[in-house]
Amino acid sequence: MKSTVSLAGRIVITGILTIVAVSALYPLFFMLVTSLRSQSEYIRDPLSLPAHWTDIDNYVAMVNRFDLPRLFANSVVYVAVAWLICLAVSLPAAFAFAKLEFPGRRAVFIAMIATLAIPGITFIIPDYVLLADVGLIDSPISVILVWAATGVPGTVFLLAAFMRALPGDVIDAAAVDGAGYFQAMRRVILPMSVPAIVTVTIFNVTGWWNDLLTPLVFLQSDQQATVTLGAATVVTRYGSDLPLLVTGLVLAALPPVLVYIVAQRYIRRGLVLGAVR
Amino acid sequence: MRRSRSRRRGALTGVVSVLPAVLLVGAFMWYPLVTTVYHSFTRWDGMVTRWVGLANYRRLFADGDIWQYLRTNLVFFLSIPLILVMCLVVAVLLHEQTPGARFFRSVYYLPCMLSVVVVGVLMRSMFLPDGVVNRGLSAAGLHALSTDWLSSTVTAFVVLILTFYWQTLGQGALVFLAGLSAMPPEVIEASQMDGAGWWRRLFRVVLPMQTPAISYFLVINTSYVFIGLFSLIYTITKGGPGTSTTPLDYEIYLSAFQTGDLGYASALSVVLLLLVSVIAWLQVRNFDLFSRNGGR
Repeated sequence: MKSTVSLAGRIVITGILTIVAVSALYPLFFMLVTSLRSQSEYIRDPLSLPAHWTDIDNYVAMVNRFDLPRLFANSVVYVAVAWLICLAVSLPAAFAFAKLEFPGRRAVFIAMIATLAIPGITFIIPDYVLLADVGLIDSPISVILVWAATGVPGTVFLLAAFMRALPGDVIDAAAVDGAGYFQAMRRVILPMSVPAIVTVTIFNVTGWWNDLLTPLVFLQSDQQATVTLGAATVVTRYGSDLPLLVTGLVLAALPPVLVYIVAQRYIRRGLVLGAVR
Repeated sequence: MRRSRSRRRGALTGVVSVLPAVLLVGAFMWYPLVTTVYHSFTRWDGMVTRWVGLANYRRLFADGDIWQYLRTNLVFFLSIPLILVMCLVVAVLLHEQTPGARFFRSVYYLPCMLSVVVVGVLMRSMFLPDGVVNRGLSAAGLHALSTDWLSSTVTAFVVLILTFYWQTLGQGALVFLAGLSAMPPEVIEASQMDGAGWWRRLFRVVLPMQTPAISYFLVINTSYVFIGLFSLIYTITKGGPGTSTTPLDYEIYLSAFQTGDLGYASALSVVLLLLVSVIAWLQVRNFDLFSRNGGR
């Protein structure tokens, strides 16, 4: 909208927005700065800046003492496999809900959406017992399965919403062509859904990367831990060395922040899906 | 003839397409839901199950446990209006397109990307007795305000809610900014022609049009304060001091995986479930694709 705000008004606005920005950034700045200080430096004055901005001792210690590469590899593998399963299951389901007629369509879809609001903690107990029965406690498989399954309702919902807007005749044409189901899925539906897939992938992947409850409940040994679980438990066990602890946080925060920088546009789009109608 | 055959084939394709999703969700979400309801009437340690009728619920309601946990959720719930207003104000200011608005928008959302775990551990370390907050207050001559934040209930809540606000501001601001940008320009122009000033336009025209965005914000954050507090509590207060900042979902975790009282935890889950089914109902009503002509 064309602004009718005076120059003074605009200065006030920028001032307020700057203050908000500083409060949004300060904890992140503190985190980064603290990771570059030694423990004695920090204790002397928590507010100070690092004596040497190139002091990466804490990062070296993280890698050596906490086997950080392993935690990262764990997180990446678990998240990637969960993503594959979740998408492989959700894509055809979303397509069917959006474009096909079949008995029970409406009821099952409503059940899926309602599942979105059910607290994760409710499933965790019976899922734990279920997976313990088949001997999958302290196995990555349990985390992967629970992540993939709990990701399905949201993924189906978002993909279906997107696919409903796709032109029906393109899909019909694929059918008339006599292209088989898998071919139509691979050649037509999958490529057309890429924007929605990117959005839903970002939300699932960052959600799983950041998840604490699932790995906390299902994994026991430090070798199996994810980065987030490590930041909450393994590292805090050595909690007296605060700069070291904070260094772990920086490393755990890095991937989501990088994703944000690269994919801001998609994140904004996904976030506001429900806000504008 | 051809048509009906292809339709029947479509029906089969549809069922086969949704089947894997239904099986996965059924095994890990719907079936557990049913067993949780059953186990809420039992004493259960994961292996041996004994029917105890309403004993778990009696303990929850008659002994008053539930109110103590719900109090924590309620404190968070009551903190939502203030952050709602803050997000609206920030969004309205951003919408004025002053220099740097795009940069600010990016910066505000940054905290929302981080894990609650990272944010929680970070905030906890900042609010330690000799942490950066207390040192900062002393340095600013406000030594009287520095305190052992996490050792008393009120200040522990202050830290928790500040953290919640810090991670919600960017999300809310973006939601409302999207709402503001979606307003048809004609409406604004019409009100400008009427000679309405900035403030009058804001309250009479702009804000009333934000009802969908506001209800969306309220739905996601209400469900967050009832079912999403686990990581925040785990990393900042562990429910303490005592149990004074323990919300329902954290108590479910404690009684299931620390105490091993799975029956009682199941009863707590059922109560939480009934509570959020109101929110679920709102969500279904808001997002029912079949009552609208899709394509957003």
